[in-house]
Amino acid sequence: MNPMAVFAILLGLVALSTVLGLIWKARTGRVRSVDGDVVRLPEIPRDGRVTLLQFSTEVCAPCVPTRRVLGQIAASTDGVNHVDFDLTHRPDIAARFNVLQTPTTFILDRDGHIRARIGGAPRQSDVRAALDSILAA
Amino acid sequence: MAESIQGTARGIDPRGPRFGAAITGVLLLVTIGLWLSGITLAATIVFAYITIVFAWGAFAGVQRHPYGLFFKSVIRPRLKPPTELEDPTPPTFAQGVGLVITLVGLVLSLIPGVGLALPIAAAAAFVAAFLNSVFAYCLGCQIYLLLVRAGVLGKTGTPAAA
Repeated sequence: MNPMAVFAILLGLVALSTVLGLIWKARTGRVRSVDGDVVRLPEIPRDGRVTLLQFSTEVCAPCVPTRRVLGQIAASTDGVNHVDFDLTHRPDIAARFNVLQTPTTFILDRDGHIRARIGGAPRQSDVRAALDSILAA
Repeated sequence: MAESIQGTARGIDPRGPRFGAAITGVLLLVTIGLWLSGITLAATIVFAYITIVFAWGAFAGVQRHPYGLFFKSVIRPRLKPPTELEDPTPPTFAQGVGLVITLVGLVLSLIPGVGLALPIAAAAAFVAAFLNSVFAYCLGCQIYLLLVRAGVLGKTGTPAAA
């Protein structure tokens, strides 16, 4: 293959990777409203509060800052709990809630219904906005 | 806050693995370029080197990765301290994923007629290394659960299905 064609292929590979990265970056952490099932886990207190249910694993670097962001929101907002559930050895729970990546965060309303789903590290302002509408309901 | 620069006990500088992924990405492009130019022996040698370095990172841990050690001793002293340190487990897992991809490609490419496995595996590894380096993409976040759910990983610890 001549050098120009080789260079074009390598450039194409870099361009493809850049597009994939931009798509991933645009999608990750986005809050998706859902009208989902009720989540009942022993780890979730049934105290009539809204719950930020975070799913993590041991091989997930952004799970750590996500834990801090969601923990701060829960600490500074009335009526909100934060629960961090480790899926590392619990494929049954990952399958039950169809969790494909970590961190994944569910916002559960007071009755435990999944009202929002966030794949990837969420932004604090997005979570607060979603919480406001759920708390106001 | 992150006053300790040592970062071995509590965590690593997250820029270290991203620096290493950049080097690996460039070498993967070199591999593909050599292969496409018909210099397959040199391509195989560079690719074998990349595979060995992935094995080093996966088995010795990312804290002892050669590019990580270079980053720590030469690059990092010239940068600002990191805003936070990270657990070495996720990047070590990513090294393991890199090892599997490159090792499969390398072994297959040695079989006559399946030489194309080498640039294909190198391209797949390049996409992962590029996303890791440029976008701080976390491979373990996307792949680990899929492997656990497929029963490949995570069998130790609490048994599944109560």
